[in-house]
Amino acid sequence: MSFILQLLFTGIGIGAVYALVALGFVLIFRATNVVNFAQGEFSMVAAFLMVVCAVDLELPYWLSFLIALGGMALVGAIFNLGVYYPLRHRTFLPVIISTIGASIFLANTTLAIYGPQPQVLPGWFETPGFQVGPVYLDSQYLLIIAVTVVLVGFQYWFFEHTLIGKKLQATSQDKEMASLLGIPVARMIMITFIYSALIGGIAGILVAPILFVSIQMGSSIALKAFAATIIGGFGDVAGAIIGGLALGIIETFGAAYISVPYKDGFAFFVLILFLIFRPQGIFGERVAEKA
Amino acid sequence: MKITRRGFSLALGAGVAMPAVLRSALGQSNTLKLGMVLPVTGPGADSGKYALTGAKIALDRVNKAGGVLSRQVELVTEDDQTTNPGAVLAFSKLAAQPDIVAFLGSIRSTQNHAMAPDILKTAKPVCFGGTDPQLTKLGNPWLFRFRPNDSYSGRVIAAYGAETLAKKNWAIVHSTDAFGTSGGKALTESLGKFGAKVALDQGYPNQSQDFTAVVLAIKQSGADVIGSYFTFDNDLAIFARQLRQLGVTIPWVGSPSITVANALKLGGAALYGTYGVADYAEESSPEAKEFAALYRKVAKTEPDNYGSWTYDAIGVLSAAINKAGSTDPNKIRDAILATKGYKGAEGEYNFDQYGDGLHGYNILRNEKGKMVFDKHIEFND
Repeated sequence: MSFILQLLFTGIGIGAVYALVALGFVLIFRATNVVNFAQGEFSMVAAFLMVVCAVDLELPYWLSFLIALGGMALVGAIFNLGVYYPLRHRTFLPVIISTIGASIFLANTTLAIYGPQPQVLPGWFETPGFQVGPVYLDSQYLLIIAVTVVLVGFQYWFFEHTLIGKKLQATSQDKEMASLLGIPVARMIMITFIYSALIGGIAGILVAPILFVSIQMGSSIALKAFAATIIGGFGDVAGAIIGGLALGIIETFGAAYISVPYKDGFAFFVLILFLIFRPQGIFGERVAEKA
Repeated sequence: MKITRRGFSLALGAGVAMPAVLRSALGQSNTLKLGMVLPVTGPGADSGKYALTGAKIALDRVNKAGGVLSRQVELVTEDDQTTNPGAVLAFSKLAAQPDIVAFLGSIRSTQNHAMAPDILKTAKPVCFGGTDPQLTKLGNPWLFRFRPNDSYSGRVIAAYGAETLAKKNWAIVHSTDAFGTSGGKALTESLGKFGAKVALDQGYPNQSQDFTAVVLAIKQSGADVIGSYFTFDNDLAIFARQLRQLGVTIPWVGSPSITVANALKLGGAALYGTYGVADYAEESSPEAKEFAALYRKVAKTEPDNYGSWTYDAIGVLSAAINKAGSTDPNKIRDAILATKGYKGAEGEYNFDQYGDGLHGYNILRNEKGKMVFDKHIEFND
């Protein structure tokens, strides 16, 4: 039983990381109808900003966190102006290619500035974790799970119960109509990119003490988060969370009971099953129904 | 002006051919060129930086001593992106330059396997650091290894764990790439000779984010010692931390990756008390100490095998070309194979018929983050 509980805790922890990054995918998709393939690099850049502030400059952790988030807001804004805005009237394909280009640019710029060595970022807590009965609870994973819950709640409230959230949704559904209704579409999209960079950044900062800070840290998580987004239903907040958690649990249990070497395969096997039998994901509506 | 199709084709052809024409028009440079395939990007980029540092230190030394065949030596590098296709592409770019006389390949066995067919076609010596024993048994006469292969590391890990530590029930953890698989196999074979048994043989994919299932499998296996072959330092450090968090405290004897500077930095206290086999150990010889002093002068990190094998490769290669008295690939090959008693940072090079230069390993112990030299075990076969 302790074996299963330990796997479950780890699965939920890893799944929460996927879910956090998936939230960023969902946000941008809802606002612009394109997939931002640089979402993982947002996590990586934020983690490097934390290393610069908290480790290299030895600033207090909370201050480093605020500076990193400020930096990410700036990255989000520049990303919007440089990667999305010039292509906003084009089809989704050039924009997606543009985000892939931006992802490579961000990774290689960080590599050029900071060098290739993985870095250590200390965790938020002095205690790395504690034993509850037979299960070891990693304090960083607990924090990730808690932050995911809070951000999901915030995001639900933001989109469903605030005027700005509704404006963002209206922008996502029909930009022309939103514009005719007086909604500043360009500003809404700018807000979405900034918010999404912040969420990606928070995910990166939270996961850095577990996976270390490296140029590749974003891309490996983002790939799973992307799968989670599809499984949950693209564009659905609850779907991203459920998809992320499901993926984390499936791969952890799959590794323990079936095969460790094929661990990554389980996630993508589930993804393929969904694409064949339920392409709209768990919570997604069929395109025809949505229209 | 009207642009005709023929005119356009001629202009395009001239443009493509221009660099080659210019190069020959300006004359061959007087330097002697060596090619180097190394990771500048990808998950192994850090090791590429150390490898380049080691090679440059050796190059500087060779050039200050008058160069090779009275010419200064120049290093031409290409990024392998830490991938097999990247390595093949990088090597083919270098191989296309006819004035490169020999090459430094990868420290990753899987990439050397990927490049091997092109190396055979190029027919010029390639010095490499991958430790899969099969690499020098492929029937490819152009591959020369500058680290001891894993048949030795397996024997040393098995000997130290089964005899010195008296542990007979093993859990073997290895990556599923060519290096990890061959290392795990070599260790399993060696353990049989020491009367030890394998309670768990567990592979894992590179760049894993979680090792909970592996650690729990070790716990359930009842093993009293761990032997490991990790390819990437961050995987090793994540595993080490989860191992300690989940309460596994049995001894751990690892392949060289457990001793490298980056793993020590990332793994921190989780690696205290572990043992590792290492081709490079600062305290093992005066040459190793000398390399450490030179390395610290130019790099901000501690010296390890990523830099030491390239340092030795440049040294041996330069001496071999000088001895051959020519850049003819066959003569250089014969001179490398004839190298005996060359004292490098990694140990004494005595090349055998297969192209293996080193035949032993050092055992190191992690004492609160510092690798302490225990002993060197040399084999005659």
